[in-house]
Amino acid sequence: MPSSISSSKHAASAERLTASDRPGVAQPVPVRPIPPQPWGAIALIALTLCLALLAAWEWRMRTLGLEAGDLDDGAAAWVEQRRLIDAGDVAVAIVGDSRILFDTDPDRFQALTGVRPVQLALPGTNARPFLEELAADSDFRGLVIVGISERSYFRDDIGLMAGALDLYRYESPSQRSGYVLHRLLERRFAFLDDAYRLSTLVHRLDPDLRPKAHSPLWDVWKIRSGSDGRHSWVWARLENDARLRDHARDVWLRPAPGRPMVPVTADLVARTQAITRKAVAAIRARGGDVVFVRPPSTPQLRAIEDRRIARKVGWDPLLIAAGVRGIHFEDYPAMRDLDLPEWSHLSRRCATVFTDAYTREIARSSALLALRNDAPAPLGPNDCRAQPVADARTGSR
Amino acid sequence: MVFNSLTFMVFFALVLALHAMPFGWTTKKVNLLIASYLFYAAWNPPFILLLWISTVVDWYAAQALVRAEKPAARRAWMLLSVVVNLGMLAYFKYGEFLLHNFSALAASVGVAYSPPEYDIVLPVGISFYTFATLSYTLDIYLRRARPAQNFLDYALFVTFFPHLVAGPIMRPTELVPQFATPRRATAHQLYFGLALMTLGLFQKVVLADGFLSDPAEIVYDAKMAPGALDAWMGTLAFSGQIFCDFAGYSTTAIGAALCLGFAMPDNFRFPYAAVGFSDFWRRWHITLSSWLRDYLYIPLGGNRHGEARTYFALMATMLLGGLWHGASWTFVVWGGLHGVYLSVERMLRTRFARWRPGPAALIALGLLTYALVNITWVFFRASSFEKAWAVLRGMFGFNTGADPILPVVHLAAVALIVGGLVATHWLMRNTTLETVLAKAPAALIAIVWGLLAFAIVVEQGTGNAFIYFQF
Repeated sequence: MPSSISSSKHAASAERLTASDRPGVAQPVPVRPIPPQPWGAIALIALTLCLALLAAWEWRMRTLGLEAGDLDDGAAAWVEQRRLIDAGDVAVAIVGDSRILFDTDPDRFQALTGVRPVQLALPGTNARPFLEELAADSDFRGLVIVGISERSYFRDDIGLMAGALDLYRYESPSQRSGYVLHRLLERRFAFLDDAYRLSTLVHRLDPDLRPKAHSPLWDVWKIRSGSDGRHSWVWARLENDARLRDHARDVWLRPAPGRPMVPVTADLVARTQAITRKAVAAIRARGGDVVFVRPPSTPQLRAIEDRRIARKVGWDPLLIAAGVRGIHFEDYPAMRDLDLPEWSHLSRRCATVFTDAYTREIARSSALLALRNDAPAPLGPNDCRAQPVADARTGSR
Repeated sequence: MVFNSLTFMVFFALVLALHAMPFGWTTKKVNLLIASYLFYAAWNPPFILLLWISTVVDWYAAQALVRAEKPAARRAWMLLSVVVNLGMLAYFKYGEFLLHNFSALAASVGVAYSPPEYDIVLPVGISFYTFATLSYTLDIYLRRARPAQNFLDYALFVTFFPHLVAGPIMRPTELVPQFATPRRATAHQLYFGLALMTLGLFQKVVLADGFLSDPAEIVYDAKMAPGALDAWMGTLAFSGQIFCDFAGYSTTAIGAALCLGFAMPDNFRFPYAAVGFSDFWRRWHITLSSWLRDYLYIPLGGNRHGEARTYFALMATMLLGGLWHGASWTFVVWGGLHGVYLSVERMLRTRFARWRPGPAALIALGLLTYALVNITWVFFRASSFEKAWAVLRGMFGFNTGADPILPVVHLAAVALIVGGLVATHWLMRNTTLETVLAKAPAALIAIVWGLLAFAIVVEQGTGNAFIYFQF
């Protein structure tokens, strides 16, 4: 039998033959020469170099504000939460976009009610298909909190995280194990952050010289930190770094690539109302309930959002059409004048205040949620006023 | 599971450890077989049944083939293997395509036929292992190979995880003999295998997924028609992406097998330095092109029955080769274009048989080959003919006034990476990686290896599937 792996003395031979050089015959056992090199020493040096560079990279990422244990979000994390509903009785589930995701403090919610909500909101994603999905799940009999913003709810497409439902319908064993392993590593290494991949950092260097071509410079950079259970909040550095804050604000003010900010049509409004009404009715028929929540945004963003669909065209008629209760931040003093570092999401401390306020409102009106007897005292905007912090990291990426 | 995943790293470490244990050779082969089934089941456990069906049918067909004395009986057993394997492939891969085309055909003659919903998931790698198992019965039918000595060796040949889902497409004569005697990698084979895996994963994770997939996707998924610069750069990006993706997979697979002490054949040989299309197909996806040549082109007559028959065999082979890549007419056109290129080249070689190109002409012809290959990539990448025409119009300058699509950073990345890739292919077109490494300073190899590994880790690959998994 021919030797398939030749000794190193043959390595310097010229080009070896392949199947393309041997038509119409049985192909022999392949030959794979090993180049004559001190491979043990080479491997050791390569490993040492790689580890040294990784240590330096990890240190650099930590100086940029990344932290070990800041868990990435994504479809697999969402699926993990969604399966909690399949596993047993879930009293409260939250669907929506990044605002209700970042602006909800589940610890506060639990302290007030004794119930920890299952967080199913997804950044840049329309809550409607997820509300419909819960409505179609006969096992779900709880309360759904639908957090909406005008940008995401009144549209036909699902948005950024359309793949979450597909993954929920089929997640392969290797996808699940990959997710578990990644979680283990994320708890120990700060550099493992989706927003700080090598190619992402390179792409951000784009000089934005080609007008009309969407520059990665104006992609959403890291704005989120998170922990278990998809508890998410605005990244601490965003609260302190003026440059990052300004960048995020600029991004929100620009129209999404390929999706100019055009007013919502009456037809789309009617369609949205009809789908919502049907989903709400299905959930109520099983003894569940639905509440809509509109988290805050600053006047600068409100102006743009109103141009797309004003409250009197979108929010108010939606509540009437679907017959649901809604909590709009404009209607409650405790939810106004909160700190929104990049205009779209609350600071972490104000998210706790907002959660406190909207949870109390829901408990006041819904039979499915009640405040604990030992619930902490109400919070107000004064509990989370922005404190000026020196922009020590301004200018760094 | 995919090579570029944390799951595979853990899996591979366990397999290596198990293979290094002092078990008997048969036990080690059983371990490898079980590991390979786990590797496949990590996508979708029920699809292991298909692997088993293919394995068992071909094993018994081959045994019966050997025992059969009459040519008709031999042919019948061979056909059974072909029908079962291609039948499964047709059902899972081409069922929906066939139904939709039948529906369109019926509509064209005024018959309204609405096909039922065809919600079938394509088993990953079915095209690859179907061809591998087919080569087993076909080689025995053609008396090129003897059947495997035992079922374990044969089952491991079909299932061996490094080549299972995306090749290199192994022939039984290449792999089965390697299972006959105990194998364990030497330290040098293990280190070199790991170095190859690092190189392959760098191509996939950093170059293909990190830097080339975005510009290709932006151009090919754009709602607007691209101008000349964007159309070319998007297509060049795809040419680099698909090479780095697929050659990266092959290199990783070869490295993984080497770590276990097995040798797998080359699948790529610097294809973007090809001069002409017959040269291209001797360098690109070698194990597929040689499979198609040996089991399709030659049985169709090859070049033994006159010019007309040769061109027919060539076109049929390339059209079916295109269809093998995907159940869509765009893939058929991709294959057809390559068939036309090969036919024209054959005519020109006959017409100018005495002409020998000088160095400059060689490079010019090489660049022309690469440019024409890029034209075919348009049909390979585009999701529809409408999109393909839009990109082609852009490439030939007909989309005047088109808005820019790609930002400067993507243009620069494509120019740098694809330019570097083509230059590297030209520098290495007449040599092998092993020959170059044999001459390189050890310190340089160590530094490059360390940098490639570092880049893979900090790119934090998202575990994207390899493009060829869908084929």
